[in-house]
Amino acid sequence: MTKMKKASQICQSKLPDNTALKQQQLPAYRLQLSATGVLSGFFATGAFCLGVGIILILSAKSIKEIEIKYTKICANCAELREDAINFDKECTCSIPFYLSETMQGNVYLYYKLYGFYQNLYRYILSRSNSQLVGTDLKDVGNCAPFSKSHNGTPIAPCGAIANSIFNDTIILSYNLNSSIHMEVPMLRSGITWWTDKYVKFRNPTAINLSSAFTGTAKPPFWSKSVYELDLEDTENNGFLNDDFIVWMRTAAFPTFKKLYRRLNRVQYFIEGLPAGNYSFNITYNFPVTRFKGEKSVVLSTLTWSGGSSLFLGLAYTVTGAVTWLAAFSMMAIHLMLKEKRTLFIER
Amino acid sequence: MFCSKKKSLEVERIVKANDREHNEKFQYADNCIHTSKYNILTFLPINLFEQFQRVANAYFLFLLILQLIPEISSLTWFTTMVPLVLVITMTAVKDATDDYFRHKSDNQVNNRLSEVLIDSKLQNEKWMNVKVGDIVKLENNQFVAADLLLLSSSEPHGLCYIETAELDGETNLKVRHALSVTSELGADISRLAKFDGTVVCEAPNNKLDKFTGVLSWKDSKHSLNNEKIILRGCILRNTSWCFGMVIFAGPDTKLMQNSGKTKFKRTSIDRLMNTLVLWIFGFLVCMGVILAIGNSIWENQVGDKFRTFLFWNEGEKNSVFSGFLTFWSYIIILNTVVPISLYVSMEVIRLGHSYFINWDRKMYYPEKATPAEARTTTLNEELGQIEYIFSDKTGTLTENIMTFKKCSINGKIYGEADDGMGQKTDMTKKNEPVDFAVNPQADRTCQFSDHRLMESIKLGDSKVYEFLRVLALCHTVMSEENSAGQLIYQVQSPDEGALVTAARNLGFIFKSRTSETITIEELGTLVTYQLLAFLDFNNIRKRMSVIVRNPEGQIKLYSKGADTILFEKLHPSNEDLLTLTTDHLSEFAGEGLRTLAIAYRDLDDKYFKEWHKMLEDANTLIDERDERVAGLYEEIERDLMLLGATAVEDKLQEGVIETVTNLSLANIKIWVLTGDKQETAINIGYACNMLTDDMNDVFIISGNTAVEVREELRKAKENLFEQNRSFSNGHVVFEKQQLELDSVVEETITGDYALIINGHSLAHALESGIKGDLLELACMCKTVVCCRVTPLQKAQVVELVKKYRNAVTLAIGDGANDVSMIKSAHIGVGISGQEGMQAVLASDYSFAQFRYLQRLLLVHGRWSYFRMCKFLCYFFYKNFAFTLVHFWFGFFCGFSAQTVYDQWFITLFNIVYTSLPVLAMGIFDQDVDDQNSMDYPQLYEPGQLNLLFNKRKFFICMAHGIYTSLALFFIPYGAFYNVAGDDGQHVADYQSFAVTMATSLVIVVSVQI
Repeated sequence: MTKMKKASQICQSKLPDNTALKQQQLPAYRLQLSATGVLSGFFATGAFCLGVGIILILSAKSIKEIEIKYTKICANCAELREDAINFDKECTCSIPFYLSETMQGNVYLYYKLYGFYQNLYRYILSRSNSQLVGTDLKDVGNCAPFSKSHNGTPIAPCGAIANSIFNDTIILSYNLNSSIHMEVPMLRSGITWWTDKYVKFRNPTAINLSSAFTGTAKPPFWSKSVYELDLEDTENNGFLNDDFIVWMRTAAFPTFKKLYRRLNRVQYFIEGLPAGNYSFNITYNFPVTRFKGEKSVVLSTLTWSGGSSLFLGLAYTVTGAVTWLAAFSMMAIHLMLKEKRTLFIER
Repeated sequence: MFCSKKKSLEVERIVKANDREHNEKFQYADNCIHTSKYNILTFLPINLFEQFQRVANAYFLFLLILQLIPEISSLTWFTTMVPLVLVITMTAVKDATDDYFRHKSDNQVNNRLSEVLIDSKLQNEKWMNVKVGDIVKLENNQFVAADLLLLSSSEPHGLCYIETAELDGETNLKVRHALSVTSELGADISRLAKFDGTVVCEAPNNKLDKFTGVLSWKDSKHSLNNEKIILRGCILRNTSWCFGMVIFAGPDTKLMQNSGKTKFKRTSIDRLMNTLVLWIFGFLVCMGVILAIGNSIWENQVGDKFRTFLFWNEGEKNSVFSGFLTFWSYIIILNTVVPISLYVSMEVIRLGHSYFINWDRKMYYPEKATPAEARTTTLNEELGQIEYIFSDKTGTLTENIMTFKKCSINGKIYGEADDGMGQKTDMTKKNEPVDFAVNPQADRTCQFSDHRLMESIKLGDSKVYEFLRVLALCHTVMSEENSAGQLIYQVQSPDEGALVTAARNLGFIFKSRTSETITIEELGTLVTYQLLAFLDFNNIRKRMSVIVRNPEGQIKLYSKGADTILFEKLHPSNEDLLTLTTDHLSEFAGEGLRTLAIAYRDLDDKYFKEWHKMLEDANTLIDERDERVAGLYEEIERDLMLLGATAVEDKLQEGVIETVTNLSLANIKIWVLTGDKQETAINIGYACNMLTDDMNDVFIISGNTAVEVREELRKAKENLFEQNRSFSNGHVVFEKQQLELDSVVEETITGDYALIINGHSLAHALESGIKGDLLELACMCKTVVCCRVTPLQKAQVVELVKKYRNAVTLAIGDGANDVSMIKSAHIGVGISGQEGMQAVLASDYSFAQFRYLQRLLLVHGRWSYFRMCKFLCYFFYKNFAFTLVHFWFGFFCGFSAQTVYDQWFITLFNIVYTSLPVLAMGIFDQDVDDQNSMDYPQLYEPGQLNLLFNKRKFFICMAHGIYTSLALFFIPYGAFYNVAGDDGQHVADYQSFAVTMATSLVIVVSVQI
């Protein structure tokens, strides 16, 4: 008996286990698609896409935006900047314009660059994150050739990105009438990502900034040291300078706009920018003509969906339309086949 | 374990017995074997070298090196390094464990003990320490340690029996005999120790059936041949001891020389993959060139002026050079089109499928406790593409369990009833089987039923007695009594077993045998026959005889053998009986039974003595011994008196008919290649529904010359076209159309045809001239049966179809004679049946019953193919979608080889982000469940037609991938262009874009499953 048992046990051990996995009988869900189900699915998706698309288009339409390209307008400045020798010669340029409609709500001031490749492989790499968080000023990592100055001191902030910072100053003034020109109050805070301002960029710890940055050199294209970027607000200096942080967040495409200032809604401007005569006073420093680029200033309002362009809305609308088209044609085919089948049955 | 490795080119081997010093001069390999590839020190370099010989690994190593060059490195080194290291370590660990087990088994073999004559004493010595020239003593049932020259044995004339199953898979015993001069040495240790003969022989080789050498001893020379040699791997049987001198040891033995590397089989998908990878590489180069040109132009137009932002000092490089560097950078970036994980995942999926086969309870054979086994893990999807099955008959379609069914004794058929209407019905159906209760020794398993035979025995019909006596005497069966006192027969071939058991049940019980006597119990009385000579069976003689002297002193020759051979040897007085028996035989064969003819001859004393003396003389000859002995056998086996014939049934295995029907419904053509007779083969064909009465025509090719065969083939073909045309075209056939038709008809044969061809004709047909004709005809037929074919011919037929039809072939068989066929087919399946493990060891898949083939192909094969195709399509799609985004981005980033995604995302995309869903799909997905795939064999056809993954499919996947990458790139591009976040901040920065793209890619690609 025991022998038999043993034998049967041996047999048992070779018999594969009867589990769902081993016998390939795991529970599975098989879609059973019915024509009505598919059609209603298509219609629902189409309706959703159309709805979202239309809403997006409407909201994008409500955005008011003014863009002024000033490379050509300030041609004399541009010419001056073509030659690097004139780097210390100041050049300003005033661009008057008329705002026919009030820009309601928050108004944002952007600068926009055309044909500036912030997405070049070597350009993107050319920064030192450990330097920018303030841990090691002397770490110039990938920054070459903008890592050390001629005399060998490390450059802070190092790298091609920092070196090529956009250094025009743009001042918007409101011409209430021909005599009263008032500067439109602008905020330079709150234009960066929170994570950038409070996590990714830190100044080195020291009694004051200038001592913190001793032993470093300014980037070759810069006229001021990094701790002198904002003379009015001492907190806005060093690596924590908002303009600097905005620039350091590299753009994905060669044409991009970056936030420069936002409207401080006080006095005349509580409602936004009233209609009227304005002018931009630009200190033209940043050369673009050399690489056939262009610069412009942009004033824009926002909606709930941000400053979205028409594209997303259009894409949704088109997708929705195509889905509906497909659904209709499928329905037609379905109905035709059904008719045929009923005919067949009748016969 | 340290074995000395010495290599020198040997032309001739000179071995002196019992003289180690002398033999050491030649530095022959000792008996230590190592099948392992590495040791601890050499593992790393050798294994790495082997791994980098694979194209894929080498390709990735090349990429890695490219990435290490800073000027062109666009991705950090870890993107390639991490997966490559993973893959290589995984393979290395697998190789290491494999090798560890080989080390272990080597150790075990090397440490086996055998008795060696050292310093005139028998000492136990480990196998690895056995040296060339040593004299070794073997005992019964021991493995032979090395290739030995047989010196002496316990049996007379220095005979010994060996089983060579491990060498060639043949389970029947083989006889080896020592030279008479050495067999005199016997077991005398002192004389053996003084033996100092020198053997001069051929250098080590892998020919199992050939040996030439000369033994010089005591001033005389004796030639040696294969009959004197016992090879390593054999087992000594029925011989209590024997002595041998080691000639080849360890790696020089024929066994080790034969263990060459098995041919590596690859699936057609593998081959397709290789071409596709080449194409993709070409595509990659094209994209690289486009982007490189773009880069040159961009550098020329824009970048030149842009350079101040990148480089302090201008004019560092020119645009053409920059383009050149960009080309390599893009090659690196875009390499993810064929990621290394593709290969890994494929392996994982195949492994999973193999486990499913192993785990399948429905392919488990409880009676023998054998589950199905996937012995190779790389061929699974090929199982879903089989077009031709080549099947052995015996043991594969049939059970290879023989039962004695019928016999014809003296012109009378027993074993079936003849009722009044002349209709023959099997008695088994109507009557109870013959009650063998009268016979306590009867074996219950035998179901022979004919009371008339029992009556004839009772009546004492002398012919019947003689017939049964032949069955009981003329065989090689060994008997044994188990603890319960029951007789157990040790049978070498199931046919013999069936016959001896039948005789036993009918009262002629074979009891025991010694080398000189055979004892049988004839209806209760013990009779001892003196065994005078034993004329053994071989494939040329196809018969076997014994010459015995019965207690009355008469000398008789009892013979059984193939009818065709035996009938030629009959005495002319048998004419009438011969025609009658021939009729019976063809009737038996017509029922699918295996037949043997039985005859005897009375010999007179004087004649026998003369003959016997001549035989002894011949046996001592050195030259032409075999020919002389064969001639003498021939001489005495004549003027035989026919007694009758036996018919043994080899039952069809369970489920064979359903399996065959289902497989042919799945459009798989089944060819039966068998060594059996034509009639038997045809009958099995009918029995398992391969041949049916509905068939339009059955062509039989049995010509004996090339011309005849050609003529027959031509006729068959004509016939086929003729019939077909009359089917399709009606009456009017224009001469002109006819020519065109010929080519069309081949493709559109209606109706079922079958082709039966025998070995002789096949040999002629396989000659180059008519090969094509044969193939053409055979492929138009639904069933092809080749009978009387040799193992080599089986392989040739498989090769023929493989080569000219470009079809995926599967060979299934169970015996050593199927090994060549199994090895040459795309997929070899071994049935672990009665005939040993040889076929299983050579096979890729093995299971116990033919009927499991259906499940293996229709369920597992189909699923594997389906899953693999889906997986590949998806994988290519996924990686095209993933990689081409870089290409589009190139146009927006000045072709600077900037990647769209984060480096780590690229590294982990295939191994982490998208690996599991596609793996799960590749392993588990079932389009239809197993029951449905069995019920609708037609579902198998897409695999045969290669529909699910081919070049067209690949391009569709590619186009789909390109489309997805376009959508993936340009929709975010549009969405990001000129936008701002809800707090006015700009969000069109590189990082946000990269994250958005990566996220949408993972979502899109995963949803695609």
